[in-house]
Amino acid sequence: MKTQTKLAIILGLLSSTIVVVFGLSIYYFLDKYSYVDFYKRLEARVRISAQYSLNSGTLNAKYLKNLRNQHLEKLEKEKEYLIEITPNGDFEQIADKYTLPIHFLNSLSKAYTYKEKEGNLFIAGSQYKKGNKLYFVIVSAENYYALNHLIFLRSVLIAGISMVILIVVIFSFYFSKHIFDPIKEITDKVKQISTENIHLRLENNINKSIEISELTNTFNELLNRIETAFETQKNFISNASHELGTPLTTIIGEADFSLLKPRTSEEYSTALKNILQQAERLNEITKSLLFLAQTGYKGKTITFEKVRIDEIIWVSKSLIDKLNPNNKILVDLRLLPEDPKKLKVRGNQQLLHLAFANILNNACKYSNNKPVTVHIASSNSQVIIMVEDQGIGIPDAELTFIYDPFFRASNTTLFEGYGIGLPLTRNIIHLHKGNLIVSSQVNVGTKVQIKIPLMEDSYLL
Amino acid sequence: MKKTILIPIDFRVASLNTLKLALEPYSEDTIEVILLHAEYLNDSITELLFYTPKKIVSSYMTNEFKEALEIIRNRFEGKIKYINIELFHGHNTNAMRNFLEANHVDEIYIAKNYQLKQTKNAFDPTPLLKKSNYNIIEVTIEHDFEKAPYEQLISLFN
Repeated sequence: MKTQTKLAIILGLLSSTIVVVFGLSIYYFLDKYSYVDFYKRLEARVRISAQYSLNSGTLNAKYLKNLRNQHLEKLEKEKEYLIEITPNGDFEQIADKYTLPIHFLNSLSKAYTYKEKEGNLFIAGSQYKKGNKLYFVIVSAENYYALNHLIFLRSVLIAGISMVILIVVIFSFYFSKHIFDPIKEITDKVKQISTENIHLRLENNINKSIEISELTNTFNELLNRIETAFETQKNFISNASHELGTPLTTIIGEADFSLLKPRTSEEYSTALKNILQQAERLNEITKSLLFLAQTGYKGKTITFEKVRIDEIIWVSKSLIDKLNPNNKILVDLRLLPEDPKKLKVRGNQQLLHLAFANILNNACKYSNNKPVTVHIASSNSQVIIMVEDQGIGIPDAELTFIYDPFFRASNTTLFEGYGIGLPLTRNIIHLHKGNLIVSSQVNVGTKVQIKIPLMEDSYLL
Repeated sequence: MKKTILIPIDFRVASLNTLKLALEPYSEDTIEVILLHAEYLNDSITELLFYTPKKIVSSYMTNEFKEALEIIRNRFEGKIKYINIELFHGHNTNAMRNFLEANHVDEIYIAKNYQLKQTKNAFDPTPLLKKSNYNIIEVTIEHDFEKAPYEQLISLFN
């Protein structure tokens, strides 16, 4: 069932039920009350009537009768009965004589007072004793109020309730139809967006309700991410095929060239050397790709242990010293925390070495061995490492793509590299629940900020 | 020996560089640090009625600033007894002198090459501090402020 009809039905049913229950309760309780009230009036008349009928002839009775005729309203079809009951009397006779229901008399003879409703006729009676004689004093009347007012009330209520239900039904259908309008609009628009026009975004109207504009924003953010992922995928494939293709072309070319005609052994050996070099390069690329893929997964095989981040930095630095003896890496310890606990993180040594060696190597490489500063600091929740170089920088427009595998900035053509290091490093840092921020200015330098959460106290023991 | 030093700040990370430089030379002392933020009080009577310095300080506090404070505290853990952030609402030298006396300030550190940010309420207390005849030590932050935004944690590293 559509949410729209569901909402309309629920809304309609709920409001109608409330109105019907309200109307019914009004009618029921008024009906009840009118009976109780009417019986009370009858009983009062029975008592007064008994007073003056049983004491007839006295002055008191005369006054009382006068008073009653003057001041008590004459009820609809009101009748008074004073019936003397003989011990062996037959109620059937009496009933016939006075046109009273026989079972009323029977019941009255058992109880001291009794009241009953016979069709529209209300009857109330009491037993009285005067001397040795037993009397029944009975008053009967019709309840005009119950007959007419209640009927009128009933028709008013029925008319009112049906009007209200009609309005509620119309309104709830209208409401449920239009409350989903903006959502339907969004659905229609999202349907239009496909892989060809993924740059399209939903219009965000400020006049709309907050929920709807939030939904629109969420959709737009989702589209942004999808678009970026698309771009990355496209870039990755083209870059990967290019990177893998270049050495392969060289290998094929060299082989072709040397097979063209018989050559000297010297020529063969240079050709083979070239081929070997390119094959090694290919091997390196595939290896690092494999590593990238492995770290990209949420690996269960990686073991985490307690490591000190400053140690990692020193080891990475010595690694770079071996590879590139001309480097000028300065480790700044001026903000190093006094408490060594504040340097311990949960991590995998090999991976962290790889990550920091990568970053330091990049810093040295792209700055032609200008000084590189590494700052280590620690807040109460995380270790902060900042690597600052004075290199060529990364153009602003390309800063968003640096984590794409095989992406290389436009100003890096003079430097060797495959564009796998930074994505790999970021994967490693993310594995450690850390985060990596790169900010850069062309020809001024690049700053890499790495934050890795500290080990919790419970692990430190 | 116990010493109390005072440093004016503007809740940007860069202004904490003064604190870093101030703490470096001390070796054996325990230091009590007071960070001073000067601003004019609001005239509104309801604001004055519900005035709490803590709330004002926490409204200025950014995550980066908090982190930078933690870094400095971790770095000089053995020296620092406490770091307090105090608000100053006075207008003249006498008020400033009272404030300094009440807080038992021994030394004031001011960065020569750093201009405190002045928003609609905040003002630079440096002239008042200079006129207060207290022991003022001027330091120079070796930092290229062009490169790093003042608010960011990067500006603490130099």
